[in-house]
Amino acid sequence: MIAGQKTILTQAEAKIIDNFAVLKGEMAQRGLLLEAARKAAMDSFCKNGFPSKQMESWHYTDMRTKLIHIASCNNTKADRLLAFPLLPNNIVLGLINGQAVVSPEMKWKKEMLCATPLDKLLTNSQAELPQDFADDNVIAQINTAFVSNGWKLDILENVSLDKIIELQNIQNGGQSHVRFPVTVGKNANVTIIERQSGNNEDSFISSVSNLDTAEGSQVLWIIIRERGLMSSELNQFNAQLGKNVVLKLYVIHTGSHFLRQEINVNLNGIGADFQLREINLLSGKTHTDTTMVVRHLAENTTSKEIIRNVAMDRACGVFQGIIQVVKEAKKTDAHMVCNSLILSDKAEFYTKPQLEIFAEDVSCGHGATVSEIDHDQLFYLMARGIPEVKARAILVEAFFRELIEELDKEKLRKVLWRLLDECLQAHI
Amino acid sequence: MPATQETIRQVRKIDVDQYKYGFETKIETEKAPKGLNKEIIRFISRQKQEPEWMLEWRLQAYHRWLQMQEPRWARLSYDEIDFQDYYYYAAPKNQTWLKSLDEVDSEILATYQKLGIPLKEQEILAGVRKQNEASELDDSLYASGGVAVDAVFDSVSIVTTFKKELARLGIIFCSISEAIREHSELVKKYLGSVVPRADNFYAALNSAVFTDGSFIYVPKDIRCPMELSTYFRINERNTGQFERTLIIVDEGSYVSYLEGCTAPQRDENQIHAAVVELVALKNSEIKYSTVQNWYPGDKEGRGGVYNFVTKRGDCRGDHSKISWTQVETGSAITWKYPSCLLRGDSSRGEFYSIAVSNGHQQIDSGTKMIHLGKNTSSRVVSKGISAGFSDNTYRGQVMAHRRAANARNFTQCDSLLIGNNCGAHTIPYIEAKNATAQFEHEATTSKISEDHLFYVMQRGLLKEEAIALIVNGFVKEVIQVLPMEFSVEAQKLIGISLEGSVG
Repeated sequence: MIAGQKTILTQAEAKIIDNFAVLKGEMAQRGLLLEAARKAAMDSFCKNGFPSKQMESWHYTDMRTKLIHIASCNNTKADRLLAFPLLPNNIVLGLINGQAVVSPEMKWKKEMLCATPLDKLLTNSQAELPQDFADDNVIAQINTAFVSNGWKLDILENVSLDKIIELQNIQNGGQSHVRFPVTVGKNANVTIIERQSGNNEDSFISSVSNLDTAEGSQVLWIIIRERGLMSSELNQFNAQLGKNVVLKLYVIHTGSHFLRQEINVNLNGIGADFQLREINLLSGKTHTDTTMVVRHLAENTTSKEIIRNVAMDRACGVFQGIIQVVKEAKKTDAHMVCNSLILSDKAEFYTKPQLEIFAEDVSCGHGATVSEIDHDQLFYLMARGIPEVKARAILVEAFFRELIEELDKEKLRKVLWRLLDECLQAHI
Repeated sequence: MPATQETIRQVRKIDVDQYKYGFETKIETEKAPKGLNKEIIRFISRQKQEPEWMLEWRLQAYHRWLQMQEPRWARLSYDEIDFQDYYYYAAPKNQTWLKSLDEVDSEILATYQKLGIPLKEQEILAGVRKQNEASELDDSLYASGGVAVDAVFDSVSIVTTFKKELARLGIIFCSISEAIREHSELVKKYLGSVVPRADNFYAALNSAVFTDGSFIYVPKDIRCPMELSTYFRINERNTGQFERTLIIVDEGSYVSYLEGCTAPQRDENQIHAAVVELVALKNSEIKYSTVQNWYPGDKEGRGGVYNFVTKRGDCRGDHSKISWTQVETGSAITWKYPSCLLRGDSSRGEFYSIAVSNGHQQIDSGTKMIHLGKNTSSRVVSKGISAGFSDNTYRGQVMAHRRAANARNFTQCDSLLIGNNCGAHTIPYIEAKNATAQFEHEATTSKISEDHLFYVMQRGLLKEEAIALIVNGFVKEVIQVLPMEFSVEAQKLIGISLEGSVG
């Protein structure tokens, strides 16, 4: 037993600790370094265990009761097949059950983009990963302890990449813990799609993306998640925005058994802008938690977050968002809206939009609504001869469509729309 | 939102330095020894001549309290409180059992007069004779807009006015100590039924050592003809005030209750941990208004009252309504969440709040609307104004139970920051567990809209005046739901309402 370990462990906690004992040796054999960091992370996990609802940032997601099962850490041999790229010209960088895969015909200009599989870097003693193992940061603890692969991307200065980078993280059963450290050089412009997908097999994934941007860069990052019925995922997206950086983040989530999606964005530079559009289509018995912290740390920074949720069947959705404005961040303009539709009697949705403001001359606000489909709108459509089921589908579609239509890349917009349409048809 | 000079000036008016009620009344008091143990609880119970069951109830609460941890989740920072360092009972000497106002210590009467609570004059004005003489409940009572007052000084209720007149209608309005002795059955039935003994740390503490407070029972189909009010005053040094208020409104009845509080200026912290329980039966309505003006501490943040209050209303019957209105300007620390349990079908809960913090004050306040019955509705309007080095947090929960079909809530919380050393925070918890619930939440911390300003100025007002008019609108929504008697006081206290200067 490790010093400071909690005395009563849940089955899942015990399994994670066991897995570490097994995988530690294996990872050392593969030459994956970071031993000290892994141990520190695991010590912190042993001490705290999963966060319970007593912890404010996990109030609605008591991991001690919500995540009771952890998939086996023996990754089965999966087919080495990547998914079709969303758009034909995309640069696809894949991970299949934790193995880096890239198709041989994939080509890009080295002077624009450096892409390296993370396991190559982890064997290098220079490998450095951010280590924040605060009590409530269980995602960083688990991910650091087990991280075995990922892709490191460096987009160089003044590069405007016309091809889209598509990161595919495919997990068909088993466990994997991956990381995507991304740096974007000065005045660069890039679009990155992070696809998290997999089949219905029992799986457990942790994925951490760290985005570091230099002055004047523009990033469009799209997270698309289509996981199976038995998958549990812990996902963290951390971004540091420099001066005049524009980050647009789209999150489209359509399935998984358990998900905790954390979004942490720091607006460090003057004039930085962060836009989040998130779509959550929750069905089955899923428990999906999005927890967002946006910190305005410099003057004239702006942010707008729009989150739209639909909860069906026995789904349980959570959105917690915090906008923090420090004393120095004058003239901040920050707005957050969370709209949720509950379509079944057994579905639940919890919202906690927070504002923490210490600066005087700011314009901040948040709005949150929870309701069923508007009866007037339904009546309007049905009065025009549209059957109820169809009318409902049209209204839900419109509810989501608005967010995607804001995207200025037409081809991408169409693809995303098709993708969402397929999901909607499957569920409604 | 940048404040205008006018607003800043008005807010400064209520700065901690200008606390008007900071004087001390020098009278002899009888105190229990410092500290808290079973003996002290027995002593309090003996002083109050309580029946055995009440003592038992207190001791059980104390037992639970010993096992509980002080809650620290609120956005408040303060030093460890030594609960053994307080006096849990302090009463003006020989003032425990009074027959009439004439027996009240003249110092105390002077105190209330100074505070603007005329216990005697009110009676004369209203054409009512002394406490014990029979008098008619005549028209003049209504004409004067009479307010019946229960005055609580440290641990005892000094006097309750208009008791006889209210008794004619079957309304019981007395101190809780008296109710425990004389209306034992009612108290036994309802005490702790809304806020259980071990509900939270401070409620358990209060249940163990509560000393006085008001008790109101309004019988069936009676509309209480006047506002009932309690005025709380902590006078003694190092004293905790633990008041307990219980209001029961029977079917088809209505009551409006007002509460006011002040304390002398002292360097050490006084503690105030109250519990208020409201029970609204079928078709009844309770309107509960508070102007809280405890001593907020001095410029450096020394002293001031720690205010830890549990207030909860239970809309037990169908079509019942409970409405909380509060103006919070005092206290070094405020920890207070007046809530509504909407159990009856079609019941309604309302919460209107203005919280002004200045100096080093810290406020963590808000409400809970728990929708349990069908077709229940609730409305929350909260306006926070922070200045100086203060922190002002709104924390509210809106919850619809699985069976609370068609639950409806609207929440609006707006913050205004004056100066660059204060903070305004909003922490709402919105929990929907059924598909027919409809919740809306809105929060802003913003500049005055250019459009509004333009519109008003176009009609011939100067910019200053236009801003004043718009700022006035900021708190008006809450001010206008206060009873007349309080809205005047509240406007003075907040000093934000700029009606006069606009013209």
